[in-house]
Amino acid sequence: MNQIAENFAQPESMPRHEDRFIASEELARLVLRTAGSHLQLAQDDRPYQWSTTAYCDTYDWSIYHAAEAGKALRLRFREYHRTRPDEAFTSARVWLELKEDTVDMSRKERFEIAGDVVPAFLRGETDLTAGGSAGLGLKAAALVKAGARPVVVTQYNRLAYAAPKDQIRITADHNLIYLAVPWTTNDDDAVPVRIGPILARETDVVIEMKWFGELPSWAEELHGYLRQRAPADRPSKFVVAMRHLLGANKA
Amino acid sequence: MSDLQSGTNVVVVEDDPASADVLQRRLQANGMSVSIGRTGGDGLALIRELHPDLVLLDVGLPDTDGYDVCLQVKSDSATSDIPVIFLSARGDVFDKVRGLSCGASDYLTKPFHPAELLARVDAVLSQTRRVRGPRLAKQPDTTWAGKPTAVVALGDMTRRERAEQILGPKFEVIAAGAEGRAVDLLVVDADATVANQPGNDGPVVLRVASAGAATGADIVPLNDELVRIADLAVRERQLGRDVDAAADALIALATAFESHDRSTAGHSERVASRAVAIAKALGLDEATCQTIRVGALLRDIGNTKLPLGLVRSRNELTGPERKQIEQHPALGQELLTPFRPLARLLPIVRSHHEHLDGSGYPDGLKAPQIPLEVRIVAVADRYEALRIARADRPAMSADAAVQILQQSVQRGELDAAVVAALATSVRGQDRGEATGS
Repeated sequence: MNQIAENFAQPESMPRHEDRFIASEELARLVLRTAGSHLQLAQDDRPYQWSTTAYCDTYDWSIYHAAEAGKALRLRFREYHRTRPDEAFTSARVWLELKEDTVDMSRKERFEIAGDVVPAFLRGETDLTAGGSAGLGLKAAALVKAGARPVVVTQYNRLAYAAPKDQIRITADHNLIYLAVPWTTNDDDAVPVRIGPILARETDVVIEMKWFGELPSWAEELHGYLRQRAPADRPSKFVVAMRHLLGANKA
Repeated sequence: MSDLQSGTNVVVVEDDPASADVLQRRLQANGMSVSIGRTGGDGLALIRELHPDLVLLDVGLPDTDGYDVCLQVKSDSATSDIPVIFLSARGDVFDKVRGLSCGASDYLTKPFHPAELLARVDAVLSQTRRVRGPRLAKQPDTTWAGKPTAVVALGDMTRRERAEQILGPKFEVIAAGAEGRAVDLLVVDADATVANQPGNDGPVVLRVASAGAATGADIVPLNDELVRIADLAVRERQLGRDVDAAADALIALATAFESHDRSTAGHSERVASRAVAIAKALGLDEATCQTIRVGALLRDIGNTKLPLGLVRSRNELTGPERKQIEQHPALGQELLTPFRPLARLLPIVRSHHEHLDGSGYPDGLKAPQIPLEVRIVAVADRYEALRIARADRPAMSADAAVQILQQSVQRGELDAAVVAALATSVRGQDRGEATGS
């Protein structure tokens, strides 16, 4: 087995809190102004660059069903571009993210890989655990063995503010689009893959607050304000995208 | 007045009547034709209808925002090449970055000086026109009598004359837009954009390398090689037309067989049209769409080798009868295999009843063994079948049929992206019917 994750980010293996809100443009501006006066612009997210995230699932949709139940390991590939691409896996480097959610906490490991080894990874020819995974790599390998492949894509412009060491991270996602991805093969020439059609667009702004430990008082206040003003307990982008893909919104 | 601006069609999407009026007068005074949309919806409708050279787009609109309109313009392959300039009072840097991230060519903050607006319009138009090639008129039927015809549309006159001289011995060189003349060959600059025509219908397009630039698979040199390459390419296109003619004959046979049964008459044509609509929603190229269309039309040709009474039976099939019917994909493949140029259709004919989870027939293939073209025809076939009334159930509405197919996706039988593309094409058709377009 090859080791694909030659350079990987430090696994964020500590559980962290995460809340999502759907906010109007005006409310989002207020949140960003508040966040901007306490936090720095996140260094790893250039403001308003396009994030393209391809989410994987198995043929029996096991990841989606687990996510609906509130506990799932999500397997996704993320890329960044200055303008919106209409293909996925176009970048030389892609972030492979393993994110495990429980009801109120999440854990994430992130690996930087070459875009053109994605098919080999999906064929199970690579080993994440050798790259230093703190435990999620083995679970991801099981999903790959079960046939996980890209099924939906999200694209959005993100503005992110963060405290040192990402102790708190507040993000606003504009222009969120959910797309299908016709993935039919794990052959090496499967990438790049054209994405679409568009399943749905989010007209409002998705605000996410993520933090380790306790929130400082200003953030506690902001969190409370958001809870009052914006619909909370919003499902993850993956769940929303999958509901659109499978027609599960009508149920 | 700038040459670039003269004859330019502009759509202005601006909700404020006074601002729209000022813009319109200013642009018209510079020789541009201007259409105004007061809302995002109106603007999008105008853009899709007129396919303008440029869109000037306000950010604050009553029904949506300009970012969303820009994203929709740039997401639609029919309009994505139209440049967009944002005009907005929002001058924060993240407003500008957001506008440009949506695919706009420029972002101008209000209030702006008219001269600056016109200069930016000029800059954007000149950049766009560099990459756009000549638009081809609709091609009349090509006849294969005498020399094939060629149009040389190179920007530089010396190069144009050189190309015409090289092509002269084998081609009749005619002027672009010559009335009533079919064009077999179009020679353009390497960076020109030419509207593609489906299948083998349009002329062969050859791109000529600029002086001193490298040639490659798609770029030909401007030397004596040009006439040899052009001759081969035009002959190959003619061969493609002959193959199309053979496919047409087979389609006529399959359609005649189908038309004997009133309940299924026209079904294959509907499946083919639906499959092409799905393929387009997935962004597939014209050649693949053509394969899908012909494959969909011929997918059930194997039925012609089964007993007529069995194929037309309205009764519930017995086990052995079902087994016999399930042979039609293999029989179809057997029938078409001798037509070697149609080999690309065989996977569709053989496998259009396969399921991603292996529960289909005749081979019980699983997902990785089923190509996208086959998945598309399978979904189109199932959808159109649900839309027809049968003895045991009435015809289903479009929405109900899509929901049934989404349930098949959830069971792991059909491709999710293909069914999503079907839903997109059905919604698009509904919108078209609602607006009468």
